[in-house]
Amino acid sequence: MQTSSSSESGWRGLLRRHETVLFALVVVEVITFSCLGRRFTTADNLANIVRHSVEIGLLALIMTPIILTAGIDLSVGSTLGLCAVLFGKMWRDAGLPIWAAAGGTLILGALCGGFNALLITRLRLPPLIVTLGTYSLFRGLAEAITRGTDAFTAFPESFLAIGGGQLAGLPTQAWILLAGAVVVGVLVQRTSFGRAWRAIGFSPTGARYAGLPVERSLALAYVLAGTVAAIASLTYTARLGTAKADAGVGYELAAIAAVVLGGSSIFGGVGSVPGTLLGVTAIAVLGNGLSRIPATMSNAAELTGTLTGGLLVLSLAGRALAGRGKRRIASGFQGGGTE
Amino acid sequence: MTVPLLQLTAVAKSFGAVRALKGVSFDLRAGEVHALLGENGAGKSTLIKVITGAHSPDAGTLELAGQRVVQLSPARAHRLGIACIYQQPALFPDLTVAENIALRLEPVTPLRRVAWPARRRQAGELLHRLGATISPETEVRSLSMPEQQLVEIACALGAGARIVIMDEPTASLTQQEVARLFGIVRALRQDGVGIIYISHRLEEIFALADRVTVLRDGESVGTRCVRRENAAGPKRDVAQSTEAMADAPLLTEAQLIQLMVGREVSTLAPPVERELGDVVLALERVGCAASGVQAVTLAVRAGEIVGLAGLIGAGRTELARILFGLTPADSGQIVLQGQRVTLASPQAAVARGIAYVPEDRRRHGLILEMPIAQNIALASHRWLFPGTWLRFGAERTLALNFMRDLGVKAAGPEALGSSLSGGNQQKVALARWLATRPKLLILDEPTQGVDVGAKGELHRIIRRLAQEGMAVLLISSDLPEILSLSHRLAVMRGGTITALLPNGCQASEVMAAALGQTGERATE
Repeated sequence: MQTSSSSESGWRGLLRRHETVLFALVVVEVITFSCLGRRFTTADNLANIVRHSVEIGLLALIMTPIILTAGIDLSVGSTLGLCAVLFGKMWRDAGLPIWAAAGGTLILGALCGGFNALLITRLRLPPLIVTLGTYSLFRGLAEAITRGTDAFTAFPESFLAIGGGQLAGLPTQAWILLAGAVVVGVLVQRTSFGRAWRAIGFSPTGARYAGLPVERSLALAYVLAGTVAAIASLTYTARLGTAKADAGVGYELAAIAAVVLGGSSIFGGVGSVPGTLLGVTAIAVLGNGLSRIPATMSNAAELTGTLTGGLLVLSLAGRALAGRGKRRIASGFQGGGTE
Repeated sequence: MTVPLLQLTAVAKSFGAVRALKGVSFDLRAGEVHALLGENGAGKSTLIKVITGAHSPDAGTLELAGQRVVQLSPARAHRLGIACIYQQPALFPDLTVAENIALRLEPVTPLRRVAWPARRRQAGELLHRLGATISPETEVRSLSMPEQQLVEIACALGAGARIVIMDEPTASLTQQEVARLFGIVRALRQDGVGIIYISHRLEEIFALADRVTVLRDGESVGTRCVRRENAAGPKRDVAQSTEAMADAPLLTEAQLIQLMVGREVSTLAPPVERELGDVVLALERVGCAASGVQAVTLAVRAGEIVGLAGLIGAGRTELARILFGLTPADSGQIVLQGQRVTLASPQAAVARGIAYVPEDRRRHGLILEMPIAQNIALASHRWLFPGTWLRFGAERTLALNFMRDLGVKAAGPEALGSSLSGGNQQKVALARWLATRPKLLILDEPTQGVDVGAKGELHRIIRRLAQEGMAVLLISSDLPEILSLSHRLAVMRGGTITALLPNGCQASEVMAAALGQTGERATE
C-alpha cells in the first residue's frame, strides 16, 4: 500500500514540487492579507471564502480529468446556468417537490454532458469546438426558457440551507467540496478510469493500440462534468436564493485557470486533484483578500483577474523552463526505487 | 564515351550509428532509364535524397555533366535540372494546375505582377507536350492520382530537368495509366533526359529500363545492362525494345532477385519440427475495402509461427489492423478457436485473446511518458484491476516479473518508457501483450531498429512463446529473420496472400513472390 503514493510516479517529483510552490503561495497570500486586510482571518470570512468558491471549485475538480485527457469543457458554466433554470422550472412550474427537482436537475446535467460526449466520441469532433458550441447553446436555451427576465425565487428553507447553513461547524459547501474532491481524487488516482484518462492524454493513439476503451473513458469524463455542473447549479441557487439564466457566466474559464494553475498540463496526461484544490484556493483567497484591503477594496475584482492571469503566466513559464531541464536528464532521473 | 549526366562516386552517408550508404557509385547517362532496385532499407531513398540535395553525403563526390558539385541543396538541385517525382505527388490541392506549375517554375520576387494568361499558356503547353488533357484551370484537388503525377512531370519538364527521378511512380496506377506513363518516360528518354526509375515491379524494369543498379545494405552490388542495344546509345526505336528484350535477355528475373537477396540464407537453422496444436485463427477470404486488403485466407495453429512477408505497402500491417479491430473487416470470415467472430474494436480483439505488438513502438506500442509498470499493465486492466481499483503492488510485481523474464534493462519499473533503448522498449511493448495471456500474438516488425544483441534475445523469446503453445503471426521485412523463425511463410502482395511457402524455403523464393514474379510477365 505504501507504493500507492508512487502510483503516478513518473511525474511525482514535478508535481510535488509544483504543489509545494502552490502551497507556499497560498501561505504567503494568507499572511499578507492577515497583515493588510480588515478582518481577513475571522472564521466568518474563511467560511465566506469557501461558500463563494464552491461552484468554481466543483467545476475545477471535474475539469481535472477532462484536461488530463487533453480535452476541455467550455460548456460547464452554461450547463450550470441551464440546470439552474430547469431546476426552478421543475420546482415552481411543474410543481415537483424540491428534492425531486434537484434529482431531475442532476439527470439533466448528465444529459448535457452526454450530448458533449456524443459529439466528441461519435463524430470525433475536437472538444474545444464541441463545447464552444454547447457553451452558446446551453446558455441560449436557459435564456430562451426564461425569456431573459424570469427568475426563480422563494425556495424552501430546507433547500436554502445548502447555501447558508452549517454542518458540524463548517459551511455546508465545505462538505460538498470535500466530497467532490475525494470522489474525483479517488477516480483519478486510484481507479483504472484515471489511468485510462492519463494514457489518453499522453497519447490517444497509444491508448487505442493498448486496447483501452478510449471512447467510453472520454464519455464518462464529460458526463461527469455535466452532472457536477448540475450539482454546482444547486449550490449556486441555494447560495443566492435565486435561479436565473445568467448563473455561472464565465465560471468555465475560472475553473480552467484553477486547474492549470494547479499543475495540470493542457496537453494532457499531467495533473492532480490536490493541485487543482490548491489552485482553486490560491485564486479564491486572492480575490477575497484583495476585497479586504482598503487600498484595493474598490477594484478587487479587476485586480484579482489581473493577478490571477499573472500567476498563470508565471506558473506556465516556470513549468516550461523546468520541463526543458527535466527532459535533458530524463534518462537518469529515475534513480533508485522508492521502497 | 560521353560524360555521364550524373556521376556519384563512393558516396557514404550515416545516420548516427546506421550506415545507410557505404560508398555507393552510380552513374546516369543522357537518354537512359536507369532502374534502382533493392529491398526495403537497402539505401534507395537515401541515395535519392543525396541526388536531390536533401541529404549531404559524408564522403564521396557528385558530378553533374562532369562538373563536381559540392553543397547541393534542394533549391540548387532544382536549378541544376534535377527533378523528383514522388509516389504521392506533393502539390497544393486547393490551387489550380497552372498555379501549382507556376509555384515551381516562376522566380520568387517580392513585387511581381501575376501574368495570368502567360501562366495558363505555359501550363497548357507543358501538359500538351505530355499529351495530357487536363485544363490548367482545374483545381488539383479534383485530379486523380495519375493526373497529379502528370502535373508533377509537367513541372519537371517546364524546369528543363535533365535528370528525372521517379520513385515508385506506378504504385497506385492502373494498367492503362501505367502504359501511358511508360509512353511519357520513353518520350523523355528520347529527348535525352536521364531517368532514375525506382520500382519493385520487376516486369516494369524489364519493360522500361536500359540498366539496373541493385542496392543491398547500403552498397551497390552491381549494375547490369537490361538491354543489349543500350550500348548503341540513346537513340533507338522505342517500339522494338520490348521485343528485343524478349529475344535476348541479358539478365533474367532470377538473376536480379539473386542480386537483391545476396547470399542464400541457409546458415540459419530452421525451427525444430514439432507437433502443432489446434487451429487458433482461421481467416477465410477476409477483406477490408478501406485498407485495401482483399480475400485473405490463412490459418495459424497453436504453437506455430506463421511469417507474413512482403514489401512495404503489401498490406501486412493492414491485415494486422483488421485482426486487432482497428479497421474492422467488411468481408470474409474470421474464426477464432472454432468460433466465428467479428472484431469491431481493439477491446473486442483483446477480449478474444488477440494481441498486437505494433510496428511503431514509440507512437503505438508504448506510452513513452508513462512508467514501465503502467505500460505493461495498460492492456490488462480488466483482470489486473478487478472492480477498476488500481492494485499498485500487483502491478509492480507483474512488471518486475516480465522485466526479469524478458531481460528488460532499466532502472526499475518506475522508469519512464522514454528512458529505454529501442530493444528494451520493444520488450516492454511485448510484455504488455504477454500480460494479457493472448491466444494469438501478432508481431509487426518486432526487431526493427533494435540492436543485434536485443534482436537475438527477441528471437529466442518468440521461439519460446511458440513452444509454449502460442499462435504467432510474425510480420517482418527482415528476410533472414522471418526465414529462420517461421514454420510457414505467407507472402503478401497488393493486399492479398499470393504465396504460401513451407518451412525451409529460400530467400529468393520469398523475394520472387513478394515482387510478384509468377512466371508469366505482364507485357506493356
